[in-house]
Amino acid sequence: MDGSSQPALDLNLAPPARARRWMPALAAGLSLGQYARSLVHRMAFLSALLLLGIWALAGQGYFWPAWAWLGLGDLVLLDLAAGWAWRRPPGPVRRVACVWTVVGVAAVILIFTWLLTWLLAGAQTFWPGWALLGLATAGSAYSLFALQDRVLVAHGKRALRARVELLTRTRRQAVLAQAAELRRIERDLHDGAQARLVALTLQLGRAELRVADQPEVSELIKDAQREASLAIAELRDLARGIVPPLLADRGLVAAVESLAARYGLGTTIDARTHRSLAPAVESAAYFVIAEALTNTAKHADAQHSWVRLGDGNRELLVLVGDDGRGGANLNGSGLAGLRARVEALDGHMLLESPAGGGTLVEVSLPCG
Amino acid sequence: MRVVIAEDLALLREGLVALLREHDIEVVAQAQDGPGLLRAIAGHNPDLAIVDVRLPPTHSDEGLLAAIEARRRRPELGVLVLSQYVETAYASELIGENTAGIGYLLKERVGDVRAFIDALHSVAAGGTVLDRQVVTQLLAAPDADGEGTLPALTVREREVLELMAEGRSNSAIAESLTVTAGAVEKHITNIFSKLDLPAGEEDHRRVLAVLAYLRVAPSGGVSR
Repeated sequence: MDGSSQPALDLNLAPPARARRWMPALAAGLSLGQYARSLVHRMAFLSALLLLGIWALAGQGYFWPAWAWLGLGDLVLLDLAAGWAWRRPPGPVRRVACVWTVVGVAAVILIFTWLLTWLLAGAQTFWPGWALLGLATAGSAYSLFALQDRVLVAHGKRALRARVELLTRTRRQAVLAQAAELRRIERDLHDGAQARLVALTLQLGRAELRVADQPEVSELIKDAQREASLAIAELRDLARGIVPPLLADRGLVAAVESLAARYGLGTTIDARTHRSLAPAVESAAYFVIAEALTNTAKHADAQHSWVRLGDGNRELLVLVGDDGRGGANLNGSGLAGLRARVEALDGHMLLESPAGGGTLVEVSLPCG
Repeated sequence: MRVVIAEDLALLREGLVALLREHDIEVVAQAQDGPGLLRAIAGHNPDLAIVDVRLPPTHSDEGLLAAIEARRRRPELGVLVLSQYVETAYASELIGENTAGIGYLLKERVGDVRAFIDALHSVAAGGTVLDRQVVTQLLAAPDADGEGTLPALTVREREVLELMAEGRSNSAIAESLTVTAGAVEKHITNIFSKLDLPAGEEDHRRVLAVLAYLRVAPSGGVSR
């Protein structure tokens, strides 16, 4: 093996210059393969005429050229059918077309052979009728099977579509249920563990006052209180990560207004949404806006920034923009993780941030 | 001092009642929801109401709204709102137009009993007490240089500022940070000069000056 590969023979290669001189059709843009086929067709036609002439000159009688015509016609038919099949798109469609070509050409040859035999034998009793009946029966039987196949395919497609719909619905339900469950956990923490820890620090505080004359015990109690305070602070951070209190208490618009006020960017808020949002949608929208405003505050050096909330057709639309220096990258920011969160809700996130042209984050979140 | 308490969690309510009684504070009524609080205030005419932000039935901000309503009906009533979290928006709503007699503290501050009792007396006497977390949150907003919205305060100055927000006196701040009262005064002078605020204000008025600077008042840029 020398590693070089022989170029495969390609009938469509451009012909050499000399061939072009002798074969004007080639020069006119026909490929070598197409030219060869048209040549064969013409020769078949000429042969047919030639045989007719010989038969006429030889005193006519039994019309034997018909058999030669049949042979030549078969060749041309096969060629045309193969050409048709080859023009189908590759893959299963072309394979099916090839099968139909073979079956169709064979059937046509068979039928013409019978008809010719019958005609040349003097067109007496129409015996090919029986053969044709047999062929038709076979064809019908095959068509029935093919039809059933199509029915099965259609059924499969329907089943697939139903499955996709089911998966889409159940995924959405799972995401929504998960968010609702997280909210429940936040509420449980608030009313349960956090409240108990607060009660604990309260009791420790009361105890500490009673042992004010025993510095060592007092110090131990203070240590215990500090631990309890740390636990409370950790639980509070955990709960805030699940859902910021203002979002849980008053919903998206109030939470976003508070967020914007805190950042001091003079953010304009245009909230035109009147939907009651599922916790998952509300949280996703909130955290996207929070991240986008954080980016604006940290990197954009913007004069203006704005948040728009609107109701689309069965979706919540969120726009967060600024007129800062742009150049934000979806992969380089915390927005990448939030895009996954948005997409889990079948939503979309777009980021436009040309250098020097401000930044625009656009999110749509399906509702219901 | 006569106090009403609105807290739906029995564990905390009973703990608070016991704590207050030990310090000669009379709990004249206990409520478990917003309307109950308003009835208790109307019926008992207390000096102070201690209110949990989240109350039944929806456990969102009924307690806060009831507290604001109670203040609207009786502006001289002291209100201390307790919560397991701090929202600066709630602080500014609570302060509203009438800054006297307002408190907003994290619930766990009850563990520091002396400071808590001081805060109760301060609010009942018309003072202003805001949790240090309010200041922390206001300082936490990101900025271009990542330093926060304030001119660079030292760690110690931030601590002093947070304790000032809780309405503590200079000596209480000094005790809490284990420094001298003179050092605290120096820090406060520095803070006021860095924030470009008029110095010499006393107690809750200086807290409010700082909080106004920190935009606890609602932002003007918000529209609907």
